[in-house]
Amino acid sequence: MARALKDYHDVELAALAAAGGRREFGELVRRHGSAVRALLRRMGAQGAEADDVAQDAFLQAFEKCAEFRGEGTFAAWVKRIAARLYLKRKARDARYVAELGTEEIAPAIDTPGLVDLDEALKSLNATERLCVSLCHGAGLSHPEIAAAMNLPLGTVKSHVKRGLDKLRARLAPDAGQSGRASHVI
Amino acid sequence: MSSDEFDPMIERLFARTPLMADAALFAADVETKLQSSNRVRTVALTVAGLIGGLIAVREAVNLDLRLSDAGAPVAGRAIGQGLQAASLDVQGAIATGLGQFGLSDLSLGSMGGMQLFWLSAGAVIALAAAAVMKLSQEV
Repeated sequence: MARALKDYHDVELAALAAAGGRREFGELVRRHGSAVRALLRRMGAQGAEADDVAQDAFLQAFEKCAEFRGEGTFAAWVKRIAARLYLKRKARDARYVAELGTEEIAPAIDTPGLVDLDEALKSLNATERLCVSLCHGAGLSHPEIAAAMNLPLGTVKSHVKRGLDKLRARLAPDAGQSGRASHVI
Repeated sequence: MSSDEFDPMIERLFARTPLMADAALFAADVETKLQSSNRVRTVALTVAGLIGGLIAVREAVNLDLRLSDAGAPVAGRAIGQGLQAASLDVQGAIATGLGQFGLSDLSLGSMGGMQLFWLSAGAVIALAAAAVMKLSQEV
């Protein structure tokens, strides 16, 4: 009796997709589409733009499926593709350079302790949000982010640290200050 | 909360994503795009194969293959005779095929042996192009 697609592991589906299996790849999209779209939104992409980039990322992933060896998770692999595509798209948009870093997002006024990650991310500025999402959402290293964003490594580290400090303040406000890193100016 | 505790927590929060309401629609969109890009590739490869085949046939016909002439080099003569023999074989095969369908009296017009040969070669090239295209989709 043939196995249903939902019974296959991601690595098996990716191998079948690499051999041209569109149905198998469709199952991968069903499994991980939401995660990729959510990451792009967390990086700052708006709804339709996030979906466009996510679609392009999956189409590119299908073409490059043979390169996925199952060393990490399939979702992480597609997220990296999506993150890089989003950065490329933003780099093409000249206006974004001016917006980046100057865009201040009004802090959310939720009850402390009840906020979720998406809400907490709104308290970060655009660059911090992007750097934190690339680092902790897409799994890119600091040097990779610096290269992708054309920023100095130290600047990326500062953005990530500042962003994490803000997130910590919102997500764990009652936490002790013992291990808390100081803000990097 | 120390950074040693907070970093894994952030990783977990990033990894936790609820299934979006339109997840099925999104997947269907991606599958549709995959299908349409596949169709575009099929058409592009077929057209490229046909154009390439036609150009190859035309160039070969225009080569002015007088290889079987007495003045041609020995190797050239051998190739020319081989081609003529092959074209006769093709003609014979076509005549047999037509005979099986009761079309043995069908005239192939004023087509010479070489013309018929190159016509058949063109068809074979087109078939090969189609096969390569199909294979590229499978792999």
